[in-house]
Amino acid sequence: MAKRGARGTLAAGLLMAAVLVAAALAGPVVAPYDPTVSAAPQLAEPMPPAAPFYLGTDDLGRDVLSRLLHGARISLLVGVVAMAVTVTIGTGVGLTAGYFGGAVDVLLMRCTDVMLAFPGLLLAVALVAVLRPSVWTIFVVIGLVSWTGVARVIRSEVLSLRERDFVLAARALGAGHARVLVRHVLPNTAPTIAVIAALSTSGTILLDTGLSFLGLGVPPPTPTWGRMIQEATTYYRVAPWLMLFPGLAVLFAVLTFNLIAYGLTRGGRAPAT
Amino acid sequence: MRRRRVRQRAPAAFASIPRTAASNSGPGGRLGARLIVLALALATTIPACFRGDRLEWPPRPRGEWRGGVLRLAAREDVPTLDPALGYDTRSWFFEQHLFETLVTYDDENALVPALAERWEVASDLRRYRFHLVPGVVFSDGSPLTAADIVGSLERVLDPRTRSQGAEYYRGIRGARDFIAGRTAQVAGLAAPDATTLTVELDAPDPLFLHKLALMFAAVVPATLARALGDDFASRPVGSGPFVLREWRRGERIVLARNPRYRRPGLPYLDGVVELVSVNDELAWLMFESGELDVAGIPPADFPAVKRDPGRAGQLLHATTLTTAYIGLNCEMPPLDDRRVRQAFNYAVSKTDLIALLAGRAVPARGIVPPNLPAYRSDVDGYPHDPARARALLAEAGRGDGFATELWTQGSDLDLKLAQKVQQDLARVGVTLAIKQVAWSAFLEAIRQPRTVPVFDLGWSADFPDPSNFLDVLFHSRQRDANNHTFYASAELDRLLDRARGLADRAERYRLYAEAERVLVEDAPVIFLYHPITYVIRHPRVHGYRIHALLPARLTEVWVDPDT
Repeated sequence: MAKRGARGTLAAGLLMAAVLVAAALAGPVVAPYDPTVSAAPQLAEPMPPAAPFYLGTDDLGRDVLSRLLHGARISLLVGVVAMAVTVTIGTGVGLTAGYFGGAVDVLLMRCTDVMLAFPGLLLAVALVAVLRPSVWTIFVVIGLVSWTGVARVIRSEVLSLRERDFVLAARALGAGHARVLVRHVLPNTAPTIAVIAALSTSGTILLDTGLSFLGLGVPPPTPTWGRMIQEATTYYRVAPWLMLFPGLAVLFAVLTFNLIAYGLTRGGRAPAT
Repeated sequence: MRRRRVRQRAPAAFASIPRTAASNSGPGGRLGARLIVLALALATTIPACFRGDRLEWPPRPRGEWRGGVLRLAAREDVPTLDPALGYDTRSWFFEQHLFETLVTYDDENALVPALAERWEVASDLRRYRFHLVPGVVFSDGSPLTAADIVGSLERVLDPRTRSQGAEYYRGIRGARDFIAGRTAQVAGLAAPDATTLTVELDAPDPLFLHKLALMFAAVVPATLARALGDDFASRPVGSGPFVLREWRRGERIVLARNPRYRRPGLPYLDGVVELVSVNDELAWLMFESGELDVAGIPPADFPAVKRDPGRAGQLLHATTLTTAYIGLNCEMPPLDDRRVRQAFNYAVSKTDLIALLAGRAVPARGIVPPNLPAYRSDVDGYPHDPARARALLAEAGRGDGFATELWTQGSDLDLKLAQKVQQDLARVGVTLAIKQVAWSAFLEAIRQPRTVPVFDLGWSADFPDPSNFLDVLFHSRQRDANNHTFYASAELDRLLDRARGLADRAERYRLYAEAERVLVEDAPVIFLYHPITYVIRHPRVHGYRIHALLPARLTEVWVDPDT
């Protein structure tokens, strides 16, 4: 029962992901207007959703739908790339610490503790303020602040894996540590990594939105969902659609990857190893 | 005064528009402000209010009655109440109610008597004799004498006070020796008797009376102020219409009527309460629910308010003596070519920018605001004409366009205006990248030669005179001060030098008008607009007026609680 439910959830998640990817890929082609140019006949007074501006316009007269579609590209790109950075660092640290144990483990895990002691968003804000805001900064910064959780999970996974017989067997056959790690331990953590990757994508999208909201995301004129929400805060009473649609877009994206993660855990249970 | 891009959200009376870099915070401040706004937005359901500690005010008498308590709100606290130190509109708003100057401005920006009931100027324009209103006392009961005025000016000049106003009074004879510590008194300042003050300058200065109208020249009880030192800012004593009753930092500031004020029957108000740390949107909600008497109007709400015929009588507006412009670095190619700078002027649509401000500005033809008394300039400025811009660029050999960078300090509105300029320049082939920089870093960068090609700035008049725009911003001598475009024109310098120190105002202004023609033709900046300040008052508020140059004055305001 749970299994079938999980499978349905996964399918729904993948379907939604397909929609997101399609929007991100085709967005610039299907977007009715240039997202950086005033298209509406009026400035300062946002137009409510109605043809030809199906999701309304903002105070600069830009088409909200076009901005959302272009913003999807940035959000998805940041989500996936920053997730890759996160997972790579986290897995590397987790594998090394868990497999070698001892002093290596203590050293790496204490570093992780230090990183964990800082609130993620605060650390990200500080880093972006020091570096210069750009897409690349965002990738690196988000990766740098969110790898700790991944490292912890992977380490605990590896702690049990390294005691398994197949590790012993590989070692007995003369395999080096690198070979054991890459060929035997890593593949066995793959299901966990898949779940973490999905979860961390949604976390990353949310963090990126937060940074954009605080004015530290990808600089304008590139449209981002976070900035759209931020720009809408002063208009929420007269033009609620300015906040509603990018908010829904963020909700959709985060839900997508959370559903995928949930589906991958087979209905909330830990992935089989 | 240098000014950030003028924010339209708050009324001039309470908007915190820093006149200098000193009163600003860095990137942390910007973020901090955002977080506070967020927190306050969440707190809108819990009315921040005049509850808490109740303030007691005198009971209201029957019959013919003018009084009441005016309730205001502002985003940021008051930086200081010491007139020697305040150099921003927030500080000046409160200072002008606690203190008085020798002269001040009427509603048309003309100089009128205040503490000085009359004065004589010698024909050489170097010697002044002021006769004070007799019998004036400070709010602590001590008499205000000419010696206090001498002491107040010496306090501003004293390097230990670290007043940014000192530069205005350097021209008094002996001021330089006093600043250098060579003399204990300023030789050019004297108080022959309690109500007479004489001032002697090194050289004729047609603007000297204007400098005495600045809050830096406000009269303080000199001995007391010196004794209190830094504490004077929180325990101010002056001769103004109000006294400080309470100042809880970050919470509220309360003024009460000064019963010893020199003008009988004034002020009408019993007091003024201003809540601080209230963001503009929250202040607007509080105004709409009747918790505030006067407020600014957030940009989002402004169009609807403007259209509402029921509110027409409540809206007040004044065109400020401020010019918003985009500076073009005249030393950085291709902006060193006048045709390119003219093309930029033709390319940017002022009308669109003003539309983005919800109509709260008038387009600029030149650099001097249109409402200076007696100054008439005949510059036509630059209409929006992209075709002409493209032709000029082609003529300058830049027909294929080029890329450059616009520096801005990034408030929401700044970024929106910058994005519009970016769009307009893209239409004539110029690619403009927007670079967001914190205010302090921004000011540092525009001072460096050949660093910032295009920047977004404004200038507000310190006093209503064209020299305060033309000379301060564009004389080649100002390279290290306020001439951030590094514009240098021998012709303009010659006209400005001839005008400076001329006693005949008509002739001076004729020369300045000629100088402005030269300037507009050379276009070292994109002339944008002069902002209009709008505030809304509750119908129960009477006598509230706003001023183009000064913060609103409350001496003749009263609140009728029955309305």
